[in-house]
Amino acid sequence: MAEVFEITDEVKAQFGVETAPWVYEVTTTSVRMYARGIGSTDPIHYDVDFAKSQGFRSIVAPLGYVGTPAFSPETNDATFGFPRRQGGARLNLPMKGLLDGGTETEYFDYICAGDTLVETSHLADVKVKGNMVFVTNESVFKNQATGQVVAKQRLTSIHLG
Amino acid sequence: MGQVYFEDVNTGDEIPQLRKNCSTQQLVLWAAGSGDFYQIHYDKDFAQSTGLKGLIVHGALKNAFLGQLLHDWAGEAGSLRKFGCAYRGMDEPDQDIICRGVITKKYSEGGEHFIELDVWTEKPDGTKTSPGTALVTLPGRG
Amino acid sequence: MAEQTYYEDVKEGQELPEIKIAPDKQQLVKFAAGSGDFNPLHFDEKFPMLKAMGIPDNITHGRFKYAQVGRAVFAFAGYKGRVKRFGVSYRGMDFINQTITVKGVVTAKRQEGGENIVELDVWTENDEGKKTTPGTAVVALPSRG
Repeated sequence: MAEVFEITDEVKAQFGVETAPWVYEVTTTSVRMYARGIGSTDPIHYDVDFAKSQGFRSIVAPLGYVGTPAFSPETNDATFGFPRRQGGARLNLPMKGLLDGGTETEYFDYICAGDTLVETSHLADVKVKGNMVFVTNESVFKNQATGQVVAKQRLTSIHLG
Repeated sequence: MGQVYFEDVNTGDEIPQLRKNCSTQQLVLWAAGSGDFYQIHYDKDFAQSTGLKGLIVHGALKNAFLGQLLHDWAGEAGSLRKFGCAYRGMDEPDQDIICRGVITKKYSEGGEHFIELDVWTEKPDGTKTSPGTALVTLPGRG
Repeated sequence: MAEQTYYEDVKEGQELPEIKIAPDKQQLVKFAAGSGDFNPLHFDEKFPMLKAMGIPDNITHGRFKYAQVGRAVFAFAGYKGRVKRFGVSYRGMDFINQTITVKGVVTAKRQEGGENIVELDVWTENDEGKKTTPGTAVVALPSRG
């Protein structure tokens, strides 16, 4: 029986191909909206004076904030919000169903309102399990001002149906 | 549309209509943008528990649509000075909302050219749901 | 806000305080707003993809669960500690209006590279006790000294 998706040499050649960079401004409003969205009431995510009193540059983004897209209608997916980046892998999977498989982030520093992050991404892995295809992308986030890597994130999506 | 000029419009003229139709996703996007998460706009069970027939469109979103109507008409060289509307009737998602405006007065004062308009949103059956007024400036050709 | 955790006070096998949340439609809409993911799978009971994928009701975003576990890990690290790594897999779906319980347990502690490292297993459980979102975290904690 044919696999639902074949990992050809062409697919393998796309592993590691970096996308063009994408810029994210970490703003007080977006950090607060994200914290509100997860139901957190920790003032470190909302109150700038309090955050500074605790030794931070500004309010701190909750852990899941990394990867929240900066949206523009010309370049981003209308539903999921993610940018259709220039470059990078193009898999052309036939499945319509899409589920989130996993999220893993390595944090090298706190991310605070006022930071501007620059992200590049590449295809890291593709696995076929039954009628599902697991695709993992890895992103590197740098602080635009300092050039330091502040986070690395691996996202796995499951394509099926 | 190209820039509209003061000399080219007359009292009684209708400005080009703007047709909107909100999906549930659009209402959720508005909740996100406005910070108003009142559930009558995306949670049907909740809406019905408050006595509504079903989901309704946020009043402020209709206000924003009328704002877009006026902003598009006034063009880059025009300006929207004052604008308000009342949320008299309810509009539903997945149904056309037609944004309309009619010029009621035009005059020049203090070197500027003013246009007063009646604006409103309308359901497909012609019922006016959000009547309002606006004050716009337009550039002169001279 | 929880009190700061110090490295000396942490024991292997120690459990994190649980977080319970039962996201209603409003919470999932707020999460869509905060995260920028407006997939109707999470808030529109009429969305055709639900039927197409055989899903009986709206489901929580995977990343919503990542964020809930994140709240527990962030609170454990405290403002003086720092989360170094944190990841989960979305093994099971969690449905709207159903309680998700965030749990965690310390699996290891050691000093490494000048830091006080604590490793944890972290996860969410549904109300049948099934682990729907298993994961791990690595945290650096301050010393009391």
